[in-house]
Amino acid sequence: MSSSLSALLSATFYESGYDHRVEIIHQRDAGALRRLVSLDVTLYDKDGALLATPTVDPRQEILDLGVLVRDATSTQERVMVVLDARYDEAIFPYRPHHYAYFHRRGSTAAPLYYAVNAVLGGVPDRVGATNINNFETYVFRQRPFAETYSLLLGCLARFVPVQAQVFAYYGARRISQDVVLAPKCHTEVQLPAEDGGERLARVEVKALFRLLSYVVGRRAGAGDVVLFDHLFTYAK
Amino acid sequence: MTRRLRSFARRLVGVARHPTYYLPWIVRPGLECALVLSNVEARFKPSCGSGPFRASVVQYDAQGVAAHRYEVALQTSTDAVELPLKAAAGGCGFATVSGDRILSDLYVTLSDGRDYTATHGRGEFVETYPPLTRALLAAACGVASLAGRTIPLFARNQYVYLGPDSRSHVLLMNLSNVTNSIRAVLSTEGRAVGSRLLRLPPMGSHLLDVASLAPGPRPSAAAWRLRLEGNAWFNLYLVGAGPLDLAGPLSLMHVK
Repeated sequence: MSSSLSALLSATFYESGYDHRVEIIHQRDAGALRRLVSLDVTLYDKDGALLATPTVDPRQEILDLGVLVRDATSTQERVMVVLDARYDEAIFPYRPHHYAYFHRRGSTAAPLYYAVNAVLGGVPDRVGATNINNFETYVFRQRPFAETYSLLLGCLARFVPVQAQVFAYYGARRISQDVVLAPKCHTEVQLPAEDGGERLARVEVKALFRLLSYVVGRRAGAGDVVLFDHLFTYAK
Repeated sequence: MTRRLRSFARRLVGVARHPTYYLPWIVRPGLECALVLSNVEARFKPSCGSGPFRASVVQYDAQGVAAHRYEVALQTSTDAVELPLKAAAGGCGFATVSGDRILSDLYVTLSDGRDYTATHGRGEFVETYPPLTRALLAAACGVASLAGRTIPLFARNQYVYLGPDSRSHVLLMNLSNVTNSIRAVLSTEGRAVGSRLLRLPPMGSHLLDVASLAPGPRPSAAAWRLRLEGNAWFNLYLVGAGPLDLAGPLSLMHVK
């Protein structure tokens, strides 16, 4: 791959039952001239096993993850979808993002729209972030809702496992969980909504290397995803 | 090159950009909108001090009127304050947040009481145009509107999603002190299927029902293209609605 191109390494999770569509180019111009040079898609199960490498035409606009996963695998488990793109800076005046829309079929919840987590990679001098980005936080509402909360974490490292600590804060107390993810493994870390009568106030993820990370809120009982957001880095 | 030309043109006509942090809001019957204000990132910035951190919130209604003002104090960097927004004309708009030493991205949440959705605000700018430029823009837009057009100084392309049990709306926000004529064109497969010319007052907002641009049955969810052109700076948030449309739970999402 030419080093004159810039890289965008992003990833998300697909769960069966959801209509989940990824915009290959967000804000494609009216003439559809903005296109990625290439897009490699890989699918991994929770243990890091490569499930498939489906071919995707980077000229298409919307990637239907449901169709993609169903056609390429027989799994009903959660799948980590890695999008490894190359783009020309002359075509994209700023670092592009993939955005995505998803909604559980038949759910009365609102559909969600989100920026696919960019996990960096590719050409080192154009990764677009020079600050520490592996130290993240997220704040939760304090009144009780009929929701459960969790973190979805994935490891995009190629060679070494990543060790992370997840701290959940309840009033003045915090609960920590250690997470070790081998390359391409992923997991869902549950965050109890209450502990000792205190509500979950915020969560922090501290990792040696950048992890794929999303905060997830699900309707209690049904499990429909109603909150799906990236965390915020401490260092901007 | 284009960026430099635009910057030169702004200076030429006297347009000023004022850094502004803003968040969208929607309040409807049965739907609460609350901001979550925090400054947790300041924990690792010794220059920020230890608090209290004060913030002023101005809630603009759909007509661009500063309908409500709130003062908030965060006692420490780990403090988080939930600020329920009041109802105001039009049921939607945006709120600006200003304050010294606030470093964190701030959240806006929508809740039907059962669960909540959240997104964050944007640190951008509001543009102010001098009187002569405002008058010229108004005259030019008046002429263009006769043909259902605007003066397309700013343009955005956004995918929207329409299906049998979920759909997108778009919250448009005029981030300027001039009336903004925004033309929305919905298209699919390279063919325009509907358009509308909207007039947003200075600092005003509009919740665009995208589906109304192309009425008809939708057996399966699909992405459509929406192109927006305006005569002044504007931005948008995507609003997600489920099978109950605007009468049910909603989500908000920023876009770049």
